[in-house]
Amino acid sequence: MDIAALNEKYVGLEFDEVHFDIETEPMVEFAEACGETLPKFTDPSDPDFQAVPSYTARFHGGRALPEGFPIVQEKNFDGGKTVEWKAPIRAGDRLTGRSHIHDIFEKTGRSGGMMFIVHRMEFTNQNDELIAIVDWKMIQKLG
Amino acid sequence: MNMSDAGGKAYEDVEFGEELPEHIPDVSMSAVKRFGEATGMTFWRFTDHEKARAAGLPGAMVQGIMSQGILVSMIHRWAPNAVVHRIDTIFRAPVIVDSRPVCRGVVTDLNDEARSLEIDLTLCNEAGETRVLGTASVELPA
Amino acid sequence: MILDLHSHSIVSDDSRAKVENYCQWIRKKAIPVDGFVLTEHRLYDDVSDYSALGRESGLLILKASEVETDYGHVLVFGVTDALRRTFDFGEIGLPLEKVVHESARHGAIAVPCHPGRTKVGMCAHIETRGEPEGVQVIETLNGGSRGNENDEALALAERKGYHRIGGSDSHIVSHIGRCATRFEDEIHDMDELVAALGAGRCEAIRLEDGAWISLP
Repeated sequence: MDIAALNEKYVGLEFDEVHFDIETEPMVEFAEACGETLPKFTDPSDPDFQAVPSYTARFHGGRALPEGFPIVQEKNFDGGKTVEWKAPIRAGDRLTGRSHIHDIFEKTGRSGGMMFIVHRMEFTNQNDELIAIVDWKMIQKLG
Repeated sequence: MNMSDAGGKAYEDVEFGEELPEHIPDVSMSAVKRFGEATGMTFWRFTDHEKARAAGLPGAMVQGIMSQGILVSMIHRWAPNAVVHRIDTIFRAPVIVDSRPVCRGVVTDLNDEARSLEIDLTLCNEAGETRVLGTASVELPA
Repeated sequence: MILDLHSHSIVSDDSRAKVENYCQWIRKKAIPVDGFVLTEHRLYDDVSDYSALGRESGLLILKASEVETDYGHVLVFGVTDALRRTFDFGEIGLPLEKVVHESARHGAIAVPCHPGRTKVGMCAHIETRGEPEGVQVIETLNGGSRGNENDEALALAERKGYHRIGGSDSHIVSHIGRCATRFEDEIHDMDELVAALGAGRCEAIRLEDGAWISLP
């Protein structure tokens, strides 16, 4: 795998845009399943009801990678997620998620040779306000 | 009324090195399935021990982002008024469904100007091995 | 003299620890170490200068590298510009024997770390690639090891007569000083560290309930 060539071709390339309508029930289910007890995350009647800060980590774009990106799905796994929270997400919001590849690098670990693809998704709401940035480290086993 | 009286936590009361109360999260199959239903992550590797074992895994795995959400909830348990600005998690190894992991957090940086702090986060299995590692940036409003 | 010989700062892609916070943590929690070595992944940090921080905190802070070879990961102590010109620290399949040889030729020392670890430890590669030449020291205590990984490393050290070191492999602040290396000599700089490692005047130790435990 020529990592330098992949970097050159794909890093910074915006390749996907998708919309999400925010509904109350999954917000509550997500929060409670994670052990949240604060009413602002679990009680839709709370005046400050909102999604938990890591909520956007659950969203995926229309495609995970740009068209033609050389990857074998069976050798792929999730290396981690970073969520930068910017503003609350409320029930009824309509989010737009735009994806680009933020970084590509290789390293070795317990799974052997691995290519790390950092997929960045930036979320705005219906007022075009930036509400979250999610970095998803996709790991592709090499060899 | 100060923050403590209001059930919150005042920035001034937090010390470098302060440990958050340990938390044993519910990663039972029912909790993981519930999370899966909410997020569309209902694949067999999360919800079926037998299939997961047949595929060479030690058992069904807790969704990585559920582990992340569990760590965030631990912060809110400690400081209900905390605003979590960033949560960064590395999924080092699977957390197994129906196991008894332990979440820990400790304050490792304080920024007086921004009233923000960094928290080291770990989710360890029964053997004490770190399965999920992370940090969070948290603000404690005045 | 006790040093944690394996740690990562935010300079490494997967570490979240600031060096200032490592120092603060060591002092606040009274971790009984005299310093630590930053072994950043696949690079040598020639930009950061921690000498003032070291003086302020009363800790020895040294810099080294963790490179990736065909026998797994290897700590390189005593990195110089000349050594860096002999192989690309960013590559992930460097020949171990070249790393060991070039390090020795340039006054440095290469130490395979977490040798008991799957894929990225030396033990896993000995069966297929044979015993590597030139290794003198290995890490037998790694703070990030799972299961019997440290036991396998110790068994290898006993079988081959390697000198032993320990390091926390910390990637977050609160993991610094979980394992370390005790030296017979006072260490003031990297040259003295390399000399002490080469002579084997050291032992791997791990922290348990605030006290150091030596390995057999």
